[in-house]
Parts: sequence; structure tokens; C-alpha cells
Amino acid sequence: MVGPLRQGVTGKVWRRAFGSPIIILFVLPLVVSLLFALGAAFDLSAWQLLWAHPQLWPALGLSIFTGLMSVLLSASLAIIIVAGLYLSGWWPRLSFPIGAMLAMPHVALAIGLSFLIMPSGFLARSVALFSGWTTPPNWITNHDPYGLSLIAALVLKETPFLMWILISILNRQDVRDNFNGQRAVGLSLGHTMTSIWQRLYLPQIVPKLVWPLFVVFAYAATVVDMALVIGPTQPPTLATLVWADINDSQVLNNARGAAGAWLLTVAIAIVALGVWGLANVIFSRREWLTVGPAPRALIKVFFFARLKFSSLISVYLIITVLLVILSFAALWPFPNLWPEILSISAWSRVGLDPSAFFTSGVLAVSTTVTAFALVIAWMETQPQMRDKYVTLLSATALGVPAIVLALGQYRAFLQLGLTGSTFGLFLAHLLPVTAYMFIVLVGPYRSFDSRWQASASGLLASFPRFFWAIKLPLLKAPLLAASAIGFAVSFGQYVPAQLISAGRYSTLPMEAVTLTSGTNRPLTAAFTLLLMVPPLLVFMAAAHFGKSRWSKL
Amino acid sequence: MINRRSLLSFAAVSLLPNMAFAADWSAVEAEAKGQEVYFNAWAGADNINAYIAWAGEQVKARFGVTLNHIKITDTAEVVKRVRDEVKAGKADGSVDLVWINGENFRVMKTEKLLFGPFAAALPNFAFVDTVGKPTTLQDFTETVDGLESPWGMAQFTFFGDGAKISSPPKSMIELAAFAKANPGRVTYPAPPDFHGTTFLKQALVEATSDRSIFAKPIDKEAFAAAAKPWLAFLDELRPSLWREGKQYPKSQAEITQMVADGELLIGLTFNPNEPANLVAAGTLPKTTIAWQHAAGTIGNSHFVAIPTNAKAKAGAQVVANFLLSAEAQARKNDLKIWGDPTVLDVTKLSGDDAKQFANLPAPGSVIFPAPAMLEPHGSFVPLIEAIWLDHYGKG
Repeated sequence: MVGPLRQGVTGKVWRRAFGSPIIILFVLPLVVSLLFALGAAFDLSAWQLLWAHPQLWPALGLSIFTGLMSVLLSASLAIIIVAGLYLSGWWPRLSFPIGAMLAMPHVALAIGLSFLIMPSGFLARSVALFSGWTTPPNWITNHDPYGLSLIAALVLKETPFLMWILISILNRQDVRDNFNGQRAVGLSLGHTMTSIWQRLYLPQIVPKLVWPLFVVFAYAATVVDMALVIGPTQPPTLATLVWADINDSQVLNNARGAAGAWLLTVAIAIVALGVWGLANVIFSRREWLTVGPAPRALIKVFFFARLKFSSLISVYLIITVLLVILSFAALWPFPNLWPEILSISAWSRVGLDPSAFFTSGVLAVSTTVTAFALVIAWMETQPQMRDKYVTLLSATALGVPAIVLALGQYRAFLQLGLTGSTFGLFLAHLLPVTAYMFIVLVGPYRSFDSRWQASASGLLASFPRFFWAIKLPLLKAPLLAASAIGFAVSFGQYVPAQLISAGRYSTLPMEAVTLTSGTNRPLTAAFTLLLMVPPLLVFMAAAHFGKSRWSKL
Repeated sequence: MINRRSLLSFAAVSLLPNMAFAADWSAVEAEAKGQEVYFNAWAGADNINAYIAWAGEQVKARFGVTLNHIKITDTAEVVKRVRDEVKAGKADGSVDLVWINGENFRVMKTEKLLFGPFAAALPNFAFVDTVGKPTTLQDFTETVDGLESPWGMAQFTFFGDGAKISSPPKSMIELAAFAKANPGRVTYPAPPDFHGTTFLKQALVEATSDRSIFAKPIDKEAFAAAAKPWLAFLDELRPSLWREGKQYPKSQAEITQMVADGELLIGLTFNPNEPANLVAAGTLPKTTIAWQHAAGTIGNSHFVAIPTNAKAKAGAQVVANFLLSAEAQARKNDLKIWGDPTVLDVTKLSGDDAKQFANLPAPGSVIFPAPAMLEPHGSFVPLIEAIWLDHYGKG
């Protein structure tokens, strides 16, 4: 694909001009942040303090455990549901509910789930209906010591993500053609669909899942906001321990936090490599996959895919409805199933001070628009062979724990006087948004059929005309989907927002996390809904306006 | 001994700067006009946030100062941020005024992160009850030296539903017995939450016979001996705590919510009037009772301070001075608004001003106030927290 912009000497100048914004606004801040984070790793006394921390090893164990369990369970669930629904009547309609679930910020789901499962929550109230409890039971649900409720929240959130990845792999034309052929062969040889999945499809799909699985693992093992809301407390996960240290008043503890963040990063890398190596060994010995009849248990597992998927959606719906009721519940004593007094006071409080809502909204719109422009400018002016560098950096931005990246970013921005500034906060949000949008867009954008452009040139259409009239409309669905993801990613940022804002700005995740440790549940619920609804609306708009091609995504 | 003459000369000396400052004060007010003050204050309670919003309206209308409440969960964050900014050479810091006391104050004072002395120069400081409320000058036994301005008084207080608690435990020993009789229904926030740390300090002080060690910076050997009965008590208490003492709530507010739900029986607070305020707000039932341990509970003052790199130092002083005014203190003292006890000596005020401070006993008020005990020196805090973490932080 040789575009007119890339011809001649002026083309070169243009190329530099359009390729550089992503370098200045994304690559440079990312690299500088990583370097500053690395700089924090070389403090010997901090490491000594870290080794002496009584909670270090149990906290690290909890982080790895919650990370591994989350990725294992969500991957199994995603594969089982996708396999069970593959090419079924539900298949073309899956992207909408999955996208809607993806749009819910992580921390909002954690808050909603904790309202559901806490000892005074809706679940216990439902049981109380039969058991006659008048006081909340001694349930060990949210903040349980093994991180099980944190794992549950992560699985609920990551299963749709992995399903979305799986579906986009399966819907690729080449994969679809291949799999159709393999299915025909398999069925002719008397294999069941379960057996075909197990022997043919999965061995081809799983290698493509390695990076998404790693991102899920790294995210789950290092998440701060969700762990604060629903995770274990004594000992906490290492990420929350590190987070407390980073924000501590003692300078020694700040350094210990930085060392802890790196220990967590290294531990994650080692565990991930170990699991990957183990998986390689297992999958290289294919015999157990290809010999003998399909185990019966698997058939049953696949059979309930619709039920499993419906249950997943139901949890999201129940949580949303519960949050709506809670936001109006001025008084809701245990064990009542319905509030005693309803009031709009929480919402009027939100209306009186909507600054956090506006800050989050302005940040999400501006970062999404900017990232969109950066990514398109890059794709239109840079040769495809350079994509791998930006892809690698984007993947690094998503794979490195947010606490490490944010720590480096905080230190760098502090030196540059950017903490507490609008621009600093904007840059901090732009980083993950650009990374996600680049990774999501690079495939669809680069596989755009260049013959369209040849035809347009033949019809003497100028490049801008071709770009606006042909290319953008044809790429509408993936562009809108990527924008919806960018918006949701910006909306859900907690760690960088908290560090870079220096208290000058408050965003919705910051408000919501703060409120969860307070006494005002209606207000917490109201803020959680505020955090949920805009990404959902943006997603629905993207789904609606990108409809013509959406179903094929 | 202090004789009359030295007393007089002391008075003269202490009056002189006040007169000089009186002229300066109008200059401060003039400079403050149009400034934006970023007030970093713990925002875990709605009523407090609403009070700060009210104070913001007032200083805007009267002095042209814009007050921005920066809502924080832990003042430690602010200490860290100011230090980082000062280190990075940032002169126009992000914090103009911070709600602070105790350990955080000690750290900021020691590391010279505070502006001042400024407190004594505030015109309304003259009405502070520095004699009857010595903690306005000694913050966790660290001398204040005018580096922070007193804002309110606090005393450790417990509360619960009187319909469920017939005789409230009036000591730590009784509390342990109560917890044993009601397993899983009592707890305290995990330190370093300051209510959690205060609970541990209260237990430490009650378990120690020679309390003189707490008046000085920590002597680790003396403390090692004092810590034994304290740890024995905590060990005994632990199995009957909520979730068998293996997990702890994060904050006092979380405990309050669990008391309101009935999941816990006893809550704790630093504001003796908070339970009454929560009854008035409808969060707690009208049968709520509040009490303090008979032999006394830890009391202290809380303050506002100005970081050394604050941008709006004049505006911050104007706000600090307004917060000390009879009007602002009376409103803060009102059970229905906040209920935070005043730092002023009400007898120094004019009759009309003084009248505003009368709080009638309301449901949830402390009926039998106990004496306030001094906080252990701030240097005890890191060790108390470290020992607790070592013993109870591993699940």
C-alpha cells in the first residue's frame, strides 16, 4: 500500500510530521516513565526493608494465587462458553452483550459484587428470608483472607474480555475457512464437536491466546482498586501493600513500596514463564489430546454454555439493578429486601458537585480523540514494518503492572512539574488509552484491502477524499469499537489518576474507591453507576453506528 | 518559681508580637484576596465535607478566598506529596492547607516541611483555651510551636445500640469479656488507620502501669517491657474478634456502617458527638448509646497546617483564622452539623457568641464523660504499628 502521502520529498516531511505525535505523546512519556521506574529499583536499603516486611511473602503468595486462579478460571469459562456457542444461533449476537460487559469498569464491578455478597448484602438478605436471621451472618465473603471474592470479581470481568478475544480470532476469515474444513473432516470421521474442539481447534487457538492470557494474569495479580474494594486485608495482596507504602508518610516506606512493585513484576514474569514452559511441555506431547475417545465430562461442560453465558450476564444485570436501588435507599436495614426509605439525596449530592464526573468525562473524550488521531496518523504515514515497535511498547504498557508504570510516571512528572497539572493528568490517561487503541486497531487497519485505494485513484479521487469517503466508513466498526474501548479504559483509571492528580483533580474511580470505605452507601452506589453508565452508552452508540459491520467483528 | 514580675514581663513579651501582627494581619487579608486555597482534608464523613463546603462559602463571601476541599483518605498521602514536591524543588506546591495531627505533624515538623510559626499570629487564636486544653499546644506530646493552628478536640469514644448492649464495657478488660460473650461482633480498624492505631494505643496505655514512658520519645527497651502485657491482652482479645481477628476493616467508617447494619455491636470514634450526630442523621437508631472507658480515654486536638511550599500562604492563614472564629467553631460544635468539640475557651467569648456553644444532651450523647488521657509521644506510633503487623498481619 503506497499512499500518495508517501511519495516524494514532501511526503517524507509529512511522514515525520504525522508520525511524531505518537512518539511525543505516547512513546516518550512511556519510555521515560519506565526508566524512572527502573531507577527506583536500585535502592539497596529499600530491598532490605522489603525483605524484613512481615507480610511480604503471604502477600506475594496471595497476589500470585489470585492472578493464576483468575486467569485459569476466566480462560476455562471463556473457552467453554465460546466453544459451546460457536456457530450456534447465538453466535452472531454475542458481540453486543460481551461488549456491554467489557464496558463496565473493573472497580465498578467489584463495588457492585461486594454489595451483593457482603454479610449485610443482598444475597444474605435473600437467605434471611428463609433462615429468619435478624442480624447479618458471620459470613466471610468480601475481603475474605484467600482473595476468593477478588478472584470472583476478576473472573466476572475477564471472562467477557477473553471471550471477545476468542471470538475475534474465530471470526477472522482465514481461521473461519480453515476451521470449516477441519470440522467437515472431523465430522466425517465420526468425531463430536467436543472432540473437534479438543483435538483440532484448541491446539491452534491457544498459542494465539498467550499474550491476552498474560495481560489478564498480570492485571489480576497487580490490580489495586479492585483489591482495595473486595480483596483480602491482613495480609493484603502485594499490590495493595505496595500501594499503601507508595502513599505512606515515611520516606523509607515509599522506597520499600517501589522495591515491592519490582519484586511483584519479577515474580509475575517468572511465574508466567514457568506456566508457559509447562504448557509447552504438555501441549508438545499431543498424544493425550489425539488418542482415545473424547472424555464424557467435557461434553456436559460444553452443553451448558448457554446457561453459563446467561448466568454471567445475569450477575452483571443483578449488580446494576442492585446499585440503582441502593443509590435511592436512604434507609435499608437488615434483613429487609427492599429499602424502608427511598430518597434522591445521593443523586442531588452528585448534582451539587459533579466535578468528578466532568473531569472523568473530559479526560475520556479528550484522550480517546487524541489517541484516535495519533494512531491513525501513525498508520497512514508509517510503513507497516515499524508497527512492531509501537505494538511492543503498547504491549509493554499493558503488561507492566500499573503500579510500576504509575510510580515511574509519578517520579518523572514530579521532576517536570507535571503532577497536579491538567496536562499531566491527560498524559497519564492517554498512555493506556493509546496502548489499547493501537493494539485493537493495528490488525483491522493494516488488513484494509489496498485495492479500494487503487480503485479510488483510478477514479481520480484525492487521498483525503478517499480517506474520508471510503476508508473511514469501511473501517467504521473497528474504529468505533476501538474508541469505545479507549473511552472505557480512560474512565476506569485509578492508580495513575490518584498519583498524578496530586489531589487537584478528582475522577470517578477515585471518588468511588474513597466512598467504599465510608458510611454513605447510596452515594457510593450513585458514583459507581456514574462510573458504569457513560462507557456503556458510548459502547452502545459505537455498536449502533457501526452496525453494518459490527456483527462481523 | 514563677513570680509576679516574670509573669508580667512574660505577658508583655507575648503581647508585643500580637500587636505587631495586628497591623500585619490586614496585610495578610489583603494578600489573601483572590487566592485559591487547596485544603487537603480527610473526607470520610459527609457531615464534615458539608461543613468544609460551608466554610468555603463563608471565606469566599467575606475574604474573597476560594477554598477547594481536596478529599483525601489518609493524611499520610499529603505528607508524602509535600515532601516529594519540596525535594523536586516545586515552589508552588499542590497543598495550601492540611488537616493534620500527631504522627503526620511530627514528621512534617521534623523534616521542616511546614510554614510558620503562624498560629499565634492569627487574631482568633487569642480565644483558644490553651490552659484548659493543653493538647492545643502539645500535639501527641510534640510541641506545636505555632506550626499548626488548632481546629477541634477529640476524645476516643465507643458507641453501640443500647437495645442490644445492656451495660457497655468501660475498660479494655471489660471489652474483651464483652467480645468473648459476643464472638465476631467486635473489632477495630487495621492500623495504620488512625482509629485503629488509637485503639491499640488505648489498649497499650490501659495495660501499662508506668505511663510516664509515653510522655517522652520512645525508649525501645522500656517499651519492650511495656509491650508484653499489651500483647497478652491483644492475643486474648483476638479470637473473639470479627472474623476471629484474622481480617480487620479498613476504616472507622466501615465499622460504623457495620454497626448500623447490625453486623458489629460496638463502633468507635474520635469525636464524642459523632454517635449523636449519626442518630440525628438517621444512620444509627435512636437507642444508640455512647461511652468512654471509666479510667479515661485518649484525647487530643486536631489542627490545620500550611506546608512550606504552599502557594497561597496568606489565603491559608485567613482560612485557618476563620476556622477558629466563634461562629465557625460554634457551628462545628453543633450536634446536628458535625458535633466536633471546640478548641476555644467559651468563657473568653462574648455572651451571644458563648451561647451558641450549648449542646443539649441528645440520643447518642456521651452521658458520663471520662477524663482525657494524653497521647503517647508520636514516636511510639511506627513501632506500635510494626509490632501489630508482625503479630496480627499475617492472617
